[in-house]
Amino acid sequence: MMAHEQEQQEQERVEDEVDILFFEIGERLYGTDASQVLRIERALPEDLSVPSLGELRRGSRALVFSTSEGEAHLKVDGVRGVRPIPIAELRRLPPAVSAAPFTIGACLDQTRLVLLIDLVETARTQGRH
Amino acid sequence: MLEVLRAGLLTPLPRAPSFLLGVTGHRGEVLPVMDLLRFLAKGEARIMPRTRIFVGVSGTYVAGVVADTVLGLRKILVSDILPPPMGADAATEHMLGVVAGPTAEETINLLNFTKLLQTARQRAVAR
Repeated sequence: MMAHEQEQQEQERVEDEVDILFFEIGERLYGTDASQVLRIERALPEDLSVPSLGELRRGSRALVFSTSEGEAHLKVDGVRGVRPIPIAELRRLPPAVSAAPFTIGACLDQTRLVLLIDLVETARTQGRH
Repeated sequence: MLEVLRAGLLTPLPRAPSFLLGVTGHRGEVLPVMDLLRFLAKGEARIMPRTRIFVGVSGTYVAGVVADTVLGLRKILVSDILPPPMGADAATEHMLGVVAGPTAEETINLLNFTKLLQTARQRAVAR
């Protein structure tokens, strides 16, 4: 009985959280739904870079994700890990904030607000995959 | 006005209008922060230790505006408010009026915060 209750509690906890992968571009920290990321690779010169996300320092890593037209690779400076974030800590951007369409929201990470990025949308807005 | 905050960490927004400095977390919500100087095409704000953000609301839209410093709260007689000076620049357009001081430097320009936020929203949407 206790094992069943613990299992149920664990299930509820998992349903209330989403895994966010945190990555850096220049000095900026971003997050993305970790389920979008297939793997992390060493970046190649032809990989996608999105200047509006910030100026890459070295861009030596690439987040590999799937789009309707195949895999895409986004250059980043570093990956800061994956953490489960309670859904209650995710926020939509206020409607009047007109930012790039790939900025889908924000998460409250301790003292700072981290923008959440839709990787597929970054590839679409750059017209590249 | 709702409150005045210390300027903390601002998260820049990709491809946002230049007057939108970024967003910050405030009371569990996302607060957009505007640079009034950029908005009025009169320069740009610098975030310093004494920089404050005053938070205002217009309808359902809440936003913060950067101020170099906050001097305090003062009561002003409505009868002392003069119409804004003639002119068609963005600053005049967003003023409620002026309160004359003993010297020109001490004149207080009263902002029309509702108008300011409305224009900011229009400019953001029009991009």
